[in-house]
Amino acid sequence: MDFGSFLAAPELKVKIVTYRDIFQNKAMIEDRFGEDYRTRSAIIKLDPADLKSLSVKKGDTVILKNSFGKVVVKAEESGYEPPHRGIAYMPNSPWSNMLVSNETGGTGVPKFKDIEATASSAKGEKVTDFEF
Amino acid sequence: MEKEYYVCTGCGLLCDDIELEMEKDLIGKVHTACRVGVAHMKESPGEAEYLVDGKKVDEKTAIEEAASVLKAARNPLIFGLGTSTNEAQKKAIELAEKLNATLDDTSSFCLGPLIEAILQEKFKTCTLDDVRNKADISFFWGSDPADSHPRHLSKFSYFPRGQEKQRGWEEERTAIAVDIRKSHTAKICGNEFYQVPPGGDAEFIEALIAGLSGKLPKTSFKFPPKKLLELANILKGARFGVIFVGLGLIYSLENLEPLIKLMDTLNEKAKGDFYLIPMVGHYNMRGFNETLFEKTGFVNSVKFEEGSVKHGPGYSVVESLKAKTVDAALIIGSDPLASLPHSIAKQLLEIPLITIDPCETLSSRKAKVSIRSGVSGVEAGGSATRMDGVQVPFRPAIDAKRPSDEEILSKLMEAL
Amino acid sequence: MTNAMELYQLLPKTNCKECGKTSCMAFAVALLSRELTADDCPPLKNEPKFKEKYEKINELAGPAGGATETGLIVHEELCFGCGNCVVACPVNVANDPYGVGSGNAPKKNEKLILTIEDGIVKAQNVDECRRFGKNKILCTGCIVTCPVEAIEFVV
Repeated sequence: MDFGSFLAAPELKVKIVTYRDIFQNKAMIEDRFGEDYRTRSAIIKLDPADLKSLSVKKGDTVILKNSFGKVVVKAEESGYEPPHRGIAYMPNSPWSNMLVSNETGGTGVPKFKDIEATASSAKGEKVTDFEF
Repeated sequence: MEKEYYVCTGCGLLCDDIELEMEKDLIGKVHTACRVGVAHMKESPGEAEYLVDGKKVDEKTAIEEAASVLKAARNPLIFGLGTSTNEAQKKAIELAEKLNATLDDTSSFCLGPLIEAILQEKFKTCTLDDVRNKADISFFWGSDPADSHPRHLSKFSYFPRGQEKQRGWEEERTAIAVDIRKSHTAKICGNEFYQVPPGGDAEFIEALIAGLSGKLPKTSFKFPPKKLLELANILKGARFGVIFVGLGLIYSLENLEPLIKLMDTLNEKAKGDFYLIPMVGHYNMRGFNETLFEKTGFVNSVKFEEGSVKHGPGYSVVESLKAKTVDAALIIGSDPLASLPHSIAKQLLEIPLITIDPCETLSSRKAKVSIRSGVSGVEAGGSATRMDGVQVPFRPAIDAKRPSDEEILSKLMEAL
Repeated sequence: MTNAMELYQLLPKTNCKECGKTSCMAFAVALLSRELTADDCPPLKNEPKFKEKYEKINELAGPAGGATETGLIVHEELCFGCGNCVVACPVNVANDPYGVGSGNAPKKNEKLILTIEDGIVKAQNVDECRRFGKNKILCTGCIVTCPVEAIEFVV
């Protein structure tokens, strides 16, 4: 096994904020198990400088993980001004929900829009498919 | 000739001016609805389907199986109902009473507290028709209607002419957005977009209150005080201001106190009045909240017990699953395995599920009993409560081949 | 909807400058804005191997392709169907004040320029547009109200 390349893969701590996307919502209504919904959901929008620090190009897959779960999604450039290094955006979906903490402080409200995770290159691994 | 309009139940806006062209028994062209609405109206109206353990059965078998799951349960959970009619919701509440069940909807982890506060009259509220006719300030806070309620700005809050707003949006209305990113709505707001860091809303509110009160507005994230004072001045000049509160703001606040304080300050300092409208996503989540509130005094997270009602976060879907206090679940028009954090939803895999939903979902795939219902508003009629509390009746657009969730719940009730 | 890159892909890409532009990309932009037509590229017009591409370009950027007479182009794939442009268009408002002008479905369809059909904006009656005709003005009502730049004028 090539441990060297594994260790060398740069990691980045990101704070993920979820949002709603009209075309993703439309794709879900049309077919929540379809390709369109997956491509529009399983993405993370990063600051271009963060993409660079991960040695990842837009369109490449990245692994996002924390103690609650792990998903592989496609990395995209956010296109947002001003720069937002360390903050990333994901449409609200089963993919982002894999990473949401179960800590609620007894309030009944999970932190859907406030996710801490580590990102690293998935080295070509495919986007996560759901079947529990 | 008077045109015939249908209501779109695609989101909490409940647009009531949709024209349909029928092609045989199906919906052909859809006029005036947005992208999401069109997808919703055209959602394929399949045949009725009843599955037990993934195998097709007849209606009677499915209902009986569902009834026996619920009877065997000590504390079943009834959850969902945001996309059910007022009538179906009433049935579900009756069912919960009969079963001594825990009852909750998605509002417990989204806008529930805000709706409760509105029903308790902690905020002034108004209708969307008032907004169209009178509002000069539409303030989108942590909400992005361009993506979530696409016709919000064109039908009510920014672009239309209204009774007291005859001269058009450029002259008579101002749209403002506060968000952590430049959303599509923020883009339309142009210079009136105020970007705050994640979690910075409470501080921004405090600074804004300072600005409204003639003090220097300071934030730890160094938001330019001049820009904040400009915002305060715009708000002070409002004759009819409305804040449209979205999840972005609610999730960012520990409680509603800062928002209540802001609304009070605005109403004290501004020329006119300020109102608040919750940006409800599901078409009839507010209906559920209002109906349950009327009956029990609570908007969600209740447990019925021999005629009495217990309430608290402990009876929310999230805490019930975390604490493993529920031992079966009846899920109506919701897909918690997709929409809840997996770390919490996975408990649903440990208990028997009954799902009632127009489409196949991650939850229905794992259900002991799964029943396909007609899409309400398309295959079934009824009434719903819009995000602003206005009742909207609607009739089905096509002949249903599938029962409505209301009919299924009635049959389930009989079987019990 | 057509963009310059799509048109460029159909060109000879030799940058021969026979059209008078400095590169094929510049020619593609000129095609998009209706400054030039496919006939202005001699190799494309005359060489048989480009026949298919020539026809395709005429289809995409020809006299009737995509843009209306006012140069209004709708990028359908971007459109949300929100109707902001429909309600903000001053001509729509004047012609149907209580329908689209008030945010509702059209009450009088006759002279409306923009309407929403199947969730996407459709342009018709463009001769009514303020950017058209003798007294034209550079109205931007439908452009500045769009959340996604789905409407564009190429003139």
